[in-house]
Amino acid sequence: MNRIKAYARFLGASFAVNVQAVVEYRANFLAQVFGMMLNNAAFALFWGVLIGKVGSVGGYGFSDVMLIWALVSTSFGLAHVIFGNVRSIGQIVQKGELDLYLLQPKDVFLNVLCSRTVVSAWGDFLYGYVVLALLPGFGTEPGLHIERFVMFSLLSISGAAVFASVFAAAESLCFFLGDATGVADAITEFLLSFSLYPEKIFGEGMRWVFYTVIPSGFIAFVPLAAIKVLDWSLIPILALVAAVYAAASYGFFRLGLRRYESGNQMSSRI
Amino acid sequence: MSDAAQRANSKARLRARLKVRKYAVAASSALRERTAYRGSFLGSAIAYGLFVFVFSRIWASAYSDRTDIDGYGHVQMVWYFIVAELSSFAFSGSFWSLARDMKSGDVAYLVSRPYSFVFYSYAQGMGRAVANCMVLLLEGAVLGLLTVGPPPAVSPGQAFGVLVAMVLAGSVYFLLNLALAMTSFWVEENAAFYWIFQKLALIVGTLIPIELLPAKAQIVAWWTPFPSMSYVPARLFSAWPGDAGAGELLAYQAAWVAFSALLCHCVYALGRDKLTVNGG
Repeated sequence: MNRIKAYARFLGASFAVNVQAVVEYRANFLAQVFGMMLNNAAFALFWGVLIGKVGSVGGYGFSDVMLIWALVSTSFGLAHVIFGNVRSIGQIVQKGELDLYLLQPKDVFLNVLCSRTVVSAWGDFLYGYVVLALLPGFGTEPGLHIERFVMFSLLSISGAAVFASVFAAAESLCFFLGDATGVADAITEFLLSFSLYPEKIFGEGMRWVFYTVIPSGFIAFVPLAAIKVLDWSLIPILALVAAVYAAASYGFFRLGLRRYESGNQMSSRI
Repeated sequence: MSDAAQRANSKARLRARLKVRKYAVAASSALRERTAYRGSFLGSAIAYGLFVFVFSRIWASAYSDRTDIDGYGHVQMVWYFIVAELSSFAFSGSFWSLARDMKSGDVAYLVSRPYSFVFYSYAQGMGRAVANCMVLLLEGAVLGLLTVGPPPAVSPGQAFGVLVAMVLAGSVYFLLNLALAMTSFWVEENAAFYWIFQKLALIVGTLIPIELLPAKAQIVAWWTPFPSMSYVPARLFSAWPGDAGAGELLAYQAAWVAFSALLCHCVYALGRDKLTVNGG
């Protein structure tokens, strides 16, 4: 229990330091956050035009598509806000910069992941909540908007855990393959792209992929089904799935770490 | 013509030839450099293939209960997307390397040489893009054939028109990327400008043809450079608008190439004094 408390304090302290670092350059921070939100909003225009012409795509109406964008955007943003190095592990390992973290008393995996935040990811994180607030029906029924907000936040946390786990595992391939940038980038692209579009358009043959190696199902499709009808029973299941992915990713990283060879780079971290 | 005038004329021609030659050398060396590292195509090839696959599924779903959307059939729409995305993927990535060179000061060794910085960068960028274009063209053709079958028939004259449109589209893409990258002379973090530009380019003519936009948005769109960057080559390939219509679209693109080149020269002239070079 003390160990959990110590790691919670460590995560909190890392997050606070990262926040201080990014708000130091306030104009840059705001430009990147609002730039990313506008960037995401561009796709809302595309869907608005397309669904306006054809009615629905893959069984999804405009609200469904926006809800899925909100969920994926906030989950993706949260994963990169807290675990900013999640897509830099390969680079860190290849440059021999892992030595720095190996010498510190905290767990290497967690220490590497949370030692940075990605500024533009704050825009992704906030975008989901903005969309949620603008969606029709939000706040019109007393009490429902609070429930929806809480459920959305919980679903985003489990989605962020799955995102971070898959990205970290993909990056950890570098322990085995050397330069695995191409494979890691491909997995990232696939996971993000498949999560943002209606599941049905891909057909039944792709379903097993969405619930295993490219788990878009647990980031987007199941959470969408849950939040549409406020089905709380799916929350613990998704939390359990996220924990399994996190444990598998951690195990894969530790396995790879045995193959790590130190470099001769001198560096320090305060 | 007198001997002196003839000599002056031939000297001017030689100078012009040498000028063109140095930019051609820059383009061909960039092309050779790009093809030497074949693995570097992997990232964009995967992303392009994935995007084409996802959108071919979206359009299959959209056309499941209709045969026409604003004049485009299913086959036309998928091939439109393949060509529009080809232009977007092959020509739009130069911003990052240009902005990095500006911020790091690496650009300093280019600005002091006896050539135009804008045209030299353009030649290099287009040289690299040719290699990208060839790889993605092959990939797009295979994916198109597998998902919806052969594209609408195109005559040799029309194919030439598409080729010209593609070069002009690439030119606008590259020059506007360069102008945006040069904002680094004033603003350290200019990525947000690029994201907005890139997403506008995506919405106005890449993901969907201009004809699908609401009427008022179409009018606004034609006053921007975005239709010249993806829409024109994709439209000429998937739904040839007649020779006169094609001529108008190509002229529209040419006007935006001229404007973009002028803009680059102006931004460069205003910004180069801001360049700070660190020793080391």
